[in-house]
Amino acid sequence: MTGDDVLVIDDEPVVRDAVRRVLGANGLGVATAGDGAAGLAHPALATCRLVLCDLMLPDRSGMDVLQDIRQRRPGLPVVVITGYATPDHAARAAEAGAADFLAKPFEAKELVDMVRRALTSTDVRGERRA
Amino acid sequence: MRTRIGIQFVAVVGVVIAVAITVLAMLTLRSHRREMIAQLTRSADLLSETVKRSTEDYMLENRRERVLRQIEAIGRDERIDRVRLFNKEGRIVFSSDAAEVGRLPEPGSEACVGCDQGQPPLDERTRIFTVGARRLLGIANPIQNQPSCSAAACHAHPPDETVLGVLDVTMRLDDVDQQIAASRRRIAALAVVTIAVTGLLLWVLSRRLIVRPVEALAAGTRRVAAGDLTTTIAVTGRHELGELASAFNAMTARLSDDQRQLAQADKLASVGRLAAGVAHEINNPLTGVLSYASLLAERPGLNPEMRADLEVVVRETKRCREIVRGLLDFARQTPPRRQPTDLNDVARRAVAVVMNQLQLRHVSLALDLAADLPAVDADANQMQQVLVNLLLNATDAIGERGGTIRLASRRSELPPRGHELIRRAVCPAGCDLLDATSRVGGSPRIRVVWTHGDREWTVCLDPVYGRFNHLSAEPCPEGVVALVACPRCRASLACPDHPCPDCGAPTFAVRGVADEPIHLCTRTGCHYTWWEARERRGAAPIAELAVEDDGRGIPRDALAKLFEPFFTTKGVRGTGLGLAITWGIVEGHGGTIDVESEEGKGTRVTVRLPVAASDQKRVAA
Repeated sequence: MTGDDVLVIDDEPVVRDAVRRVLGANGLGVATAGDGAAGLAHPALATCRLVLCDLMLPDRSGMDVLQDIRQRRPGLPVVVITGYATPDHAARAAEAGAADFLAKPFEAKELVDMVRRALTSTDVRGERRA
Repeated sequence: MRTRIGIQFVAVVGVVIAVAITVLAMLTLRSHRREMIAQLTRSADLLSETVKRSTEDYMLENRRERVLRQIEAIGRDERIDRVRLFNKEGRIVFSSDAAEVGRLPEPGSEACVGCDQGQPPLDERTRIFTVGARRLLGIANPIQNQPSCSAAACHAHPPDETVLGVLDVTMRLDDVDQQIAASRRRIAALAVVTIAVTGLLLWVLSRRLIVRPVEALAAGTRRVAAGDLTTTIAVTGRHELGELASAFNAMTARLSDDQRQLAQADKLASVGRLAAGVAHEINNPLTGVLSYASLLAERPGLNPEMRADLEVVVRETKRCREIVRGLLDFARQTPPRRQPTDLNDVARRAVAVVMNQLQLRHVSLALDLAADLPAVDADANQMQQVLVNLLLNATDAIGERGGTIRLASRRSELPPRGHELIRRAVCPAGCDLLDATSRVGGSPRIRVVWTHGDREWTVCLDPVYGRFNHLSAEPCPEGVVALVACPRCRASLACPDHPCPDCGAPTFAVRGVADEPIHLCTRTGCHYTWWEARERRGAAPIAELAVEDDGRGIPRDALAKLFEPFFTTKGVRGTGLGLAITWGIVEGHGGTIDVESEEGKGTRVTVRLPVAASDQKRVAA
């Protein structure tokens, strides 16, 4: 596997670092961005296999970022992570095309399981598309 | 304002009565006077005729001294002013007043009227005139020449004369005037009395029927304007003002309800904003703690002691997560989206949600659902949340050693006594007696003051009708009859005309919804309570869900605070929000939630919901 597998867009450094450490320990490369604009401009966006995006970003809403990403790379799964997890938010994220929804705070295992699930489903979809 | 209405009313009606009586009196007096004068005229005429006839013989015989004596004798009567006889030249020939004999009355004077013609009608010969201060009625009676006159021996009158003279009788009008004056006085007195009595009656009536109710309305409006929405006004009757008072009461009750809901909603909204902020701010640092700690704890070859410590960090961080989620759930309480719901379905779904947990904790579940359970109008999701909450609480109460939970549903009828929540209690002056600081089962207690001798207790009563548990800081002695009053305005709550049928002591009453009185006994230790209006409405069909566990039970002092936000008996494992949310949901469905518990034996929580209107007939059938 070359390059970064996962792009994390979150304004909290501790969250970015935690995700990097947890996924890194599981053999996944992680790129990070602190806000929506940085995330969309990040070179890893073109190559990564998964995006984790916070719902509340300093410059724009996570939903908007999610939609932009889906326009650029329609097959790329985007998982929404948020500290304000309500069924309502989860439903809206799913409608907007999010692959999954993860509430903060999470255990290492929860994050890894979720990421694996998301990556597997893309691989399956990728095969189908191919 | 009030004096103006009453006085204006009385003044207008008083003036109308006065005018009416005056007009009536004038008309009556006038016809009365006319009648009396006519009568007097007739009797004067008769008298005059009598004098003429009785003197006729003496005249014919020319015995003047007899004529004079006769006239004098008649003139002595005090009703008669004088009797005079004029000759044809107008000279006074005879008079009961000897001084004027031989004089000529002044030309045009009252005695000259109507003596030139033959025999004019009576009213033309009559005159009323005043001499000095005296009113008089005079009748001139012409004496016609007759054959016997001209043929008499004296030959005083030749036969060609028609009128020989005039007999003039003057009567005093004193009697008539006095009677008229007396009548006038009587009528005036009667008018004064009538006006006074009618005015008084009107004043009393207007005060009773208009001014007092309007005053009460005005006072009530001022109290409402000042923010006291527990205000109620006594409904004084079935007339318009009574209807207005009812409408006013309905309006304030509605406002009060709305305000309570708004206040609750406002409180929830603030907690919600706080929770949302807290959730966002805390969840980020928690993400760091939880993911690093869990990552470390999974590291292979870790020293077991360190692994145990890390697991504590992970567990406690997850507890923080639950607290924040609880806050978010609490903040998200929404009005129930109600539709006919089968609570048995809800119960099965709730059980499916918690089944894993129960098995992990060695808790067995006995499900006892009634097949004939009527539908309730409920939000199925919210009711599921209630049941999941209660089931998890029961699991926690059982603890690690394992036990049994019984979840039962049944249809039932709720007799008001022992179940009906008293949602409103006010004193006669309208003070709210519900004390939000002292609650039982999540509902505020009724607070009153008991006085016996020179001692006083603040007593909190169970807000459930018929339960009558007293709670006071210092217990009252048993069996004494207390004076019971409002703790705010000190108005007595006594009902002397409703003695306690159990012990004979007087009762006191608090006023509930729609001002229905709820009577309670004033003797300590007597448990009589009576809610006439509610008893009359009878039992209500309900659907009941009970969650029963054989866990550790709840301490007595904790029972009262069970439904308060942030109160928990689970120590570090609880958020204190679960039962607050549960209570809010059940309350939002118009239901009740009851907790019975015995320490060391277990707890039973019963949720009762009113049966859906569409199902009520079926239940009744």
